[in-house]
Amino acid sequence: MDIKKFIKSVKSTLGLKGFNQEGKKKSLKELLKKLNRRKKSVTELLKTSLDEKEEKELKEELEIVSLQIKKGKKILYKLYAKK
Amino acid sequence: MLISSIYKIPIVILLLSGSLFFLGLYPDISTIIGGVALFLIGMEYMEGGFKAFSGSFLEKILEKFTNTTPKAISTGFFTTALVQSSSLVSIIIISFLSAELISLTSAVGVIFGSNIGTTTTAWLVSLFGLKIKISIYAMPMIIVGIFIPMFLKESSWKGIASILIGLGIIFLGIGYMKEGFEILKEGIDLAQYAMSGYAGIFTYVLVGIIATIVIQSSSATMAIIITALATGQIEYTNALALAIGANLGTTVTAVLAALKSNENGKRLAVAHFIFNMTTGIIAIVFIYQLAELVDYIAMIIGIGIKNYTLKLALFHTIFNVIGVIVVSPFIGTLVAFLNKLFVSKKQSKGKSKYLDDSALGLPSTALSAVIMETKHLYENAFGIIARGLNLKKKNILSSMDLDDVVADLYTSDTIDIDDFYNYWIKGIYGEIIDFSTKAQINMAPEYAEELYKLKLANRDIVEAIKGTKHLQKNLLKYTSGRNRYIKEQYDDIRKSLAKLLRNIHTISTSNEEDVIILLLSKSKIHAERDDIIANGTLDRLIRKGLINNQMATSLMNDSDYAYRISQNLIAMAEVLFIDIDSDLKKLHVDMGISDEEAKSIVQKKDHS
Repeated sequence: MDIKKFIKSVKSTLGLKGFNQEGKKKSLKELLKKLNRRKKSVTELLKTSLDEKEEKELKEELEIVSLQIKKGKKILYKLYAKK
Repeated sequence: MLISSIYKIPIVILLLSGSLFFLGLYPDISTIIGGVALFLIGMEYMEGGFKAFSGSFLEKILEKFTNTTPKAISTGFFTTALVQSSSLVSIIIISFLSAELISLTSAVGVIFGSNIGTTTTAWLVSLFGLKIKISIYAMPMIIVGIFIPMFLKESSWKGIASILIGLGIIFLGIGYMKEGFEILKEGIDLAQYAMSGYAGIFTYVLVGIIATIVIQSSSATMAIIITALATGQIEYTNALALAIGANLGTTVTAVLAALKSNENGKRLAVAHFIFNMTTGIIAIVFIYQLAELVDYIAMIIGIGIKNYTLKLALFHTIFNVIGVIVVSPFIGTLVAFLNKLFVSKKQSKGKSKYLDDSALGLPSTALSAVIMETKHLYENAFGIIARGLNLKKKNILSSMDLDDVVADLYTSDTIDIDDFYNYWIKGIYGEIIDFSTKAQINMAPEYAEELYKLKLANRDIVEAIKGTKHLQKNLLKYTSGRNRYIKEQYDDIRKSLAKLLRNIHTISTSNEEDVIILLLSKSKIHAERDDIIANGTLDRLIRKGLINNQMATSLMNDSDYAYRISQNLIAMAEVLFIDIDSDLKKLHVDMGISDEEAKSIVQKKDHS
């Protein structure tokens, strides 16, 4: 067994193999939760009567948040696929 | 200079030859001194190893778990016991103080705890060092340590290798010291010079102080005391006095080192000195009572009555713990005294605040210092950019409506941005670059990469100021002119940059990842949206004849400057205001909105 294989097997035995990915997944899930909460509150706010400027700003925020949620989900799927 | 060095060479050669001749005549003393030298080399290896192995871990612990005095003392104890180096802990603490990452009260607490932590060396030497078979443990440790870096190239593995080599050499050193004392015993019995009573205590305390000053390491002195005690070359009571002396001697070393240090280093050295003096006086006055206490505790924990080396280690720990108990209630008074004793020089706005050579000791503290100083640079730059845009900084930082922020002018005169640049920016910028160059010499690639990004962030700040300087020329002219259309355009530029500065301020103070990521994305989109060439505003104004050709070219150029200022500031914020160790840093790269996406969002809106 060469040294690389040896380290690989030690890492997997100790559960260190996907350590970084697990950390990233956890943070990403946390961030997605926050973004989803924000999306929900912005959507609720948009249903109320707002002036044109406020509505424009909220719509823009909703668009950004939606895009980021989409991106985040994509990364999360990739991380799960790797596992 | 050269001539004086030439004169020194024969003296050095003479001293070296004399020492070699003397050591040749007395092989036992030569073995002991050789052992001490190996012990010191081992300590160096271990310290270097821990620096490489712990990376930013040790600093993170010292930064996070020091907010209360008990926590600071415990953290100081555990970290020092773990890395077996109070000097490494001191280096980190001084650099943290310089970077204002921890308070002086916490730093003093850590130093107190660190003092107890150093007593673990005596335990290790007594428990393992004297009993260990060098051929079984020390040599294999050195061999494994030498071979690890050949196969594993990562810095943490190299750190582990250095720790192993260091430990091996330390045990080897202890072995030689022990052997030297055993041979020496056959010739001279040093125990015959044992002195009883307070005369003996004072004499041996003095010997301990001098030995530590000469060797520059209380751990090495303790190792000598323990090995001498184990071989019966000194008496137990005299060994206790020597241990007190070693504790006092180490403060002299620290004070001497602090003479070259900054105010923080001096404050900590004096705190250390006061603590060790108090502890030393208590230990000397109550030495017999403490010895009885040691016997009592030794009996409880199962240390044999004749096991003097372990009893010495116990004594060393007990009197340091007593010192902490006695001095800790007065930390507040001590800190007030230290702040009065070493008054910080009034900082000029154009001088660096955090770049101290003590931070160069570790890559992570050097990086922290550069981050803090870059934030300081940005703070100054914020002031200049706000003035250049004829805005009041306090209005930008408030929740005031942006139309009102733009309406409230800073001045009706021109301000000289070059003057501000020379006083507030140039010096700090130069110092950051100089410090970074020194810091990156021995940096691991991951740190060097972060440092490079920080250098780019610094350049972005400077570029943003230069852009403001260009922008300012026409800004004052057209915002005070009679054409309301061009005035509106320049006010829009001011408004969008004010909004960006406000957003960056929110990012810099927020801990919420979603807020940071959202504001950065918004700022990118706004920068694209406010580009008047791309959004067609300029064409409309020219077509309708609302502005003349000269105004149009000025607006076109200045809009470009504003766009570039925005880009510079956003790029800077992405590097500077997202914690490098946070998960957001990794996620932001994948989840943040790219320039292309920002453009496409703006285009979609324009079409709709």
